[in-house]
Amino acid sequence: MNSFQWANAATVEDAVKLLKPTDPKADVDQQPMPMGGGQDLLTSLKAYIVKPPRVVNLKTIQGMDKIEADGKGGLKLGALVVLSTLEEHPEVRAKYPGLAEAAFSIATPQIRNLGTVGGNLCQRPRCWYFRLENYNCRKKGGDECFAKGGENKYNAIFGGGKSNYVHPSDLAPMLIALDATVTIAGPDGKRTMPLGEFFILPATNVRRENVLKEGEIVTEIQIPAAPSPRSTYLKFKERDSLDFAMSAVAAAIDLAPDKTVRQARLVLGGVGTIPWRVPAAEAFLVGKKLSDEVNSQAAKIALDGAKPMEQNEYKIPLTQALVRRALAKLNA
Amino acid sequence: MAKKTVKVPKIVDGVPVGEVEIQVDDNGGPSWGANDKHRLLNKPMIRVDGAAKATGTAIYTQDVRPKGMLFGRFLASPRAHAKVTKLDLEPAKKLAGVKAVLAVVNVGGEVRFEGEPVVAVAATTPEVAEDATRAIVVEFQDLPHVVKGAEALQPNAPQVVARPPRIQKQGDAEQTAKALESCDAVIEAQYTSPMLHHCCLETHSITADFNGKDTATVYASTQGTFTIPGDSARELGLPQNKVTSIVQNMGGGFGSKFGIGIAGQWACRLAKEVGAPVKMALTRREEFLAAGNGPGSIQKFKAGASKDGKLVAVMATQYALPGIGNSNLAGQPYQYKAEHTYREAQAVHTNEDASVAMRAPGHPQASFAMESLMDELAYKIGMDPVEFRKKNVQDAAWHRQLDRGAKEIGWENRNKTPGEGKGNLRRGMGCGIGAWGGGGNAQCQVDVTIGKDGSVIAAVGSQDLGTGTRTYIRAIVAEELGLEMNDVVEHIGSSKLGNANASGGSTTAASLSPAVKDAAYNARVEMAKRVAPLLGAQADGVVFDQGRVMGNGKSLPWKQACAALPEAGLTAHGKWQPNLSSSGVHGASFAEVEVDIETGHVRVVKMCHVQDCGLPLNRTALHSQINGGMIQSMGMALYEGRVMDSDLGVMVNPGLGDYKIPGTLEIPEMIPIIDDGDDRQAVIGMAEGANVPGVGAVCNAVYNACGVRVRDLPITPDKILSGIIAMQKRMT
Repeated sequence: MNSFQWANAATVEDAVKLLKPTDPKADVDQQPMPMGGGQDLLTSLKAYIVKPPRVVNLKTIQGMDKIEADGKGGLKLGALVVLSTLEEHPEVRAKYPGLAEAAFSIATPQIRNLGTVGGNLCQRPRCWYFRLENYNCRKKGGDECFAKGGENKYNAIFGGGKSNYVHPSDLAPMLIALDATVTIAGPDGKRTMPLGEFFILPATNVRRENVLKEGEIVTEIQIPAAPSPRSTYLKFKERDSLDFAMSAVAAAIDLAPDKTVRQARLVLGGVGTIPWRVPAAEAFLVGKKLSDEVNSQAAKIALDGAKPMEQNEYKIPLTQALVRRALAKLNA
Repeated sequence: MAKKTVKVPKIVDGVPVGEVEIQVDDNGGPSWGANDKHRLLNKPMIRVDGAAKATGTAIYTQDVRPKGMLFGRFLASPRAHAKVTKLDLEPAKKLAGVKAVLAVVNVGGEVRFEGEPVVAVAATTPEVAEDATRAIVVEFQDLPHVVKGAEALQPNAPQVVARPPRIQKQGDAEQTAKALESCDAVIEAQYTSPMLHHCCLETHSITADFNGKDTATVYASTQGTFTIPGDSARELGLPQNKVTSIVQNMGGGFGSKFGIGIAGQWACRLAKEVGAPVKMALTRREEFLAAGNGPGSIQKFKAGASKDGKLVAVMATQYALPGIGNSNLAGQPYQYKAEHTYREAQAVHTNEDASVAMRAPGHPQASFAMESLMDELAYKIGMDPVEFRKKNVQDAAWHRQLDRGAKEIGWENRNKTPGEGKGNLRRGMGCGIGAWGGGGNAQCQVDVTIGKDGSVIAAVGSQDLGTGTRTYIRAIVAEELGLEMNDVVEHIGSSKLGNANASGGSTTAASLSPAVKDAAYNARVEMAKRVAPLLGAQADGVVFDQGRVMGNGKSLPWKQACAALPEAGLTAHGKWQPNLSSSGVHGASFAEVEVDIETGHVRVVKMCHVQDCGLPLNRTALHSQINGGMIQSMGMALYEGRVMDSDLGVMVNPGLGDYKIPGTLEIPEMIPIIDDGDDRQAVIGMAEGANVPGVGAVCNAVYNACGVRVRDLPITPDKILSGIIAMQKRMT
């Protein structure tokens, strides 16, 4: 990795100041960068795909590693909560089992002991070509997406085009399915938005995966009270021990006493350039009772509009299977 | 002394290349005795270096740091094939801490694969060395490249190597083609496997401790202690006897670590340039790109069987894909006998690093294809795949092993019709057989020294790759002298000690253990002569047992007996004895898998491998070897493979995150079985035999589970799903 300045942030305000671009004209991947657990950042630094002049350590900020009740039945997750804490938290497991499942599905125990919620949401894609130092793909400022026409087995079937990486986060689809919001701190103060609006398509800005501007960091995630604890995260890995999702489904539903679907939120992971919410499938489910037939139809609708490339058409039947299974599981 | 001529395997850099005849003493000498009559050997033993390794106190080459040591680093080619048109080393030389910058390829020279070293740098820290490689200005002019075997087979593919292809032909094509016409069942199929990587925990590493004076010590992560001094001396400009190599512990080789290699070559050259020690430890990415690999394969068959289960005719075309190097696949029809066979084989080259020996070179590829083909034929004629195999191999060992493995896995419970059953999770079973040489040769020189204080040292320069060499050296000596493991210390891993062969072709145990046994035997005989008078016994009537030396109804504790030795103690020499080792091992693997037919996920539920090896030295180590073999074979079957981008000419998965070896959650219930039906009272290397047949066993189990035959490794979920969808389309 290139040498960089190391700065410990004492407060959020301090971090924001330290993250101020030292050279506003420099490339976006050569600006000061925040570090939580460092589990993604270090790999990016070592591969020279990011070259920050300064790395701002957020772990020195007190109090950002807590899971707290919001007083309204929901939870607030500090951005520095590590994944293993989330995975083991009794209230998370009771109210949002899908979120504990999503946390557990990530990487290895060692990585989960260090990786943070904020870092998981802001990690960079794992696309092979993005991670090749010597090839300047469009995502790195070049003018080509090498995955298109290249080795694209793991790439996106939704939201691609200019670039075809998949968003790597496992927490993101589940948190969106749980209707979470995210608070961002920056030079202009704090703002809070639905997590679903946090992620952006390559068509919007191919160099970034989210709305964060230079100097901004994620400070907190809010999860509203769930109408029911019926949530699940089904992640399909090629290698169970350690892998990113080949496909994943985050599902949260609320059933009436007669088991009619009152509300459904379905978000796909591992298939899109952003966590891919499927409103048509959600709408289809509302007012119905879940059955093999209904689940199959919802699965079909969920994958409508998928645009596979040469090597990733399998993601369609695979993801449909996961949607069916998630719904069946939540109906049980 | 009378001499006799024996044949021993010839191994070059881990690859068996036939046999050579050698002369050995014909002296009777020691013998092992019955396999079930040992006190320490052929029992489970804890590895003697286990605690040091588990607690991190074992010193590996990467831990070595002589005073003033510099860190070496390569600037590697980002191109698959290009001419170097500009090279400016000055910016690197100007960096503080940079001590040497040497061009590996000069302007006008060519690089022929991604990762090929272009410049070597030595600096005071690894970070400065890395910065220096990036400060170098290098420009390339691209030349045509090809990085996939199938593309290299196209008529207009760029020529990668200058030499014309050498096509080996064996058998009678015409007769075989004719015989195929009368077969009851014929399968025509192509099987492919990707280039594989050794994935040693310790990457290729060498530290050349040289200060510009007249001697050097070279610490190496190597499979051959004695392959290091010659290579190093040449690079350092020293006579070979001025260079010592040290290999105390090493983190895996699997065929990839013979000689000093590119890392050692440039560690030495940099050290010579600066006159200071230099360590060159490859990064994991470099390890994938430029430290050797196992060749990929494309194998085409047309083969036929008769209704009654005889393999009648096999036509095979075998392409080995060794990058810019060379390699051969084991010839088809592998271990099976067919009445008519015809085989064409050649290497097809790509712009990738040269293949080297890897875990039974050429066998897993050949076995995977042949075992898949055998399975396809068995199903086509409607015969039990185990029965079909037994009808087409003669050796009784395989018959015995197939029966044993079938029993362990519960073969009778397999799907009679592939893919049958209800629900999404379908189970299936498969099997395969394999073979290996594992014979010994006469290169080891062992000394056993008994001190006047009773201490015992066994000394030989051999390396221990992690296979348990240290442990059996101790056990053999302890057993011979009637002592316990802790009473013996082994000194190994230094070229200052007696010669030993390189660990290639699973030949170490069969080469070294006879020499250790011979030395221990000679030490015992010598000791008996010294102690006999004290006991009033004849020398040949002295017995060594339970830490005592006994004879004539009297008994002395070991230490007291040793006090009778002269001041210098006694040292006995031992060398390889042909009757103590043999050659030729057999193995059979069975696998049970569970395939999720909606996702294509394969879970290996259970694997069993039955392996013979003559006299088992250490049953725990053997079980570990067999387990390791099963894991490697399931890795090859389901997960592993180098992936290349055709246009860019580069490897897209050069890391352990993306090149997927099995992890803890992938490991099935494993049943390692030492085939005690083998009563040869001789040591035979078996390790490489254990990773051969499992590949086909897993592939065949997948087919038996879900009815999809995947002929292109690794069998990943996308391939299974595509197969299932195609099958469902055919059925509707």
